[in-house]
Amino acid sequence: MADRFRSSIAALGAALSTEWNRFWFTPAPAQRLAVVRSLAGGLGLLLAWSWAGDLMAWFGPDGIVSPEVLKAWRSPTALSLFDVARSSAAVWAFFLLGVVLLGMLTVGAMTPIAAPLAALFWASLLHRGPMLVGPADDVLAVILWCLAVGRPGDALAVDRRRAGGAGAAAPSWRNGLALGLLRVHAAVIAAAAAVAQLKADVWWNGTAAWFLAARESTRVDLTGLLAGSEIVTNVVTHAIVLFEIAFAAGVWNRWTRPVVARAGLVGWPLIGLVAGEPMWGAAMAILAWACVPEEAPER
Amino acid sequence: MLLVVYLVGLGLCVAGNTASGTSHLVGTLKDRLFAPWMVPLWLDLGHDTRLTYGLPEDADHHLEIRPAVSRPARQGNGPATAVLRFPATGDHSERGARWRRLAVATVLAEEDAEQAGVLPAAIGAALFRVAGNDDLEVRIVRRVAPDYESARSLRRDETALEVRVRRRDGELQLIPLPPAEEVAPLVDTAPPGGGK
Repeated sequence: MADRFRSSIAALGAALSTEWNRFWFTPAPAQRLAVVRSLAGGLGLLLAWSWAGDLMAWFGPDGIVSPEVLKAWRSPTALSLFDVARSSAAVWAFFLLGVVLLGMLTVGAMTPIAAPLAALFWASLLHRGPMLVGPADDVLAVILWCLAVGRPGDALAVDRRRAGGAGAAAPSWRNGLALGLLRVHAAVIAAAAAVAQLKADVWWNGTAAWFLAARESTRVDLTGLLAGSEIVTNVVTHAIVLFEIAFAAGVWNRWTRPVVARAGLVGWPLIGLVAGEPMWGAAMAILAWACVPEEAPER
Repeated sequence: MLLVVYLVGLGLCVAGNTASGTSHLVGTLKDRLFAPWMVPLWLDLGHDTRLTYGLPEDADHHLEIRPAVSRPARQGNGPATAVLRFPATGDHSERGARWRRLAVATVLAEEDAEQAGVLPAAIGAALFRVAGNDDLEVRIVRRVAPDYESARSLRRDETALEVRVRRRDGELQLIPLPPAEEVAPLVDTAPPGGGK
């Protein structure tokens, strides 16, 4: 009896181990990750642009976010490369270096170096002004670290051209690991957003869409449409939450994954527009792209 | 093994960074074992993107900076003063969104003993040169949307925070300003010739 129990446990352990290795370490081609790399680099440049205009007002020697402000704000374990930049020239130099790294990531130049350094730059920038950070910045940080794990420079990249490789690079387990991490994060972020929203009455009584649309900062003015019909307001509100739940759960099923991942390419940007967070919507769409299954073999 | 550790850390970060608070157990585990290496990488994230709860703090906020003047002057009985607004009216860009986040963070920080007053003072001090004045009023305005039931109404502006920041003899001073109604001039309603 004890032997049978032991052998069942061993079989279960072996099955779990096989499944674990299959999910995380199956070699994957670099094309999908390369597209994620280009899109993330492009989004990083756009977001960096939004920091650039007021860089000195925030981080300059006489800027608002002074070292004293950071002391009251940041976790003791937080670090930023910008902490050593005390002059305007040094702040700009660090910032422009980061922009160059994001540009290199976008085109896939020196990717093995550019990817981790771009992630490091991004984390440093966010730690320099944590009270200015939005959800798109957070999601981009996650994507950049995932890219640093994989080999996104093996396709659609300047690196690939330089290497003279006309054909595709061999699939790598690092790409599989990076895509797996991106999928886990996509599901976790969608689920966490849905859980956070369902704590508030406005997401249950169906009026949250109104409060999103009625902000002055919204990019798409839906107030006329929503004020005219409570049913439409309710539909938009509930659709956002249902989409997030469907996305978080759907990317784990082989039948639903192609549908919800592709729906995410449209759904997330739409939610971003309605919510006044278009960059967050774009960042989530990049994660959705990482979830679209390869044609073959099925991961 | 590293992957398992990271996934556990990810779960604890999501559970430990919610607006609802976190348990002592989760908080301790996260802070002791994961925060030291996940915080520097900007991976200690809750991802609880609520978008809105329909609360005043979810409304758009902006900063208004003006030279400090006496209350009656500001209420229309004195010379008009130039007002700097961050972000500018109609700025829907991500850059504008960062100013709005700064404004919200400034208001919310007033509830934290360690952070209270830090940002208003920093904002005022940083803008002395821009405003050309060493005595400024920093006002954070929230533009509250009407409830759905009164959807046709206009948004209304509320003062979420208002302080005076000035530099005297090189020293920065922060003077909280009470709401306007608390300092409105008293109207003598006693009948002519004395009441009693």
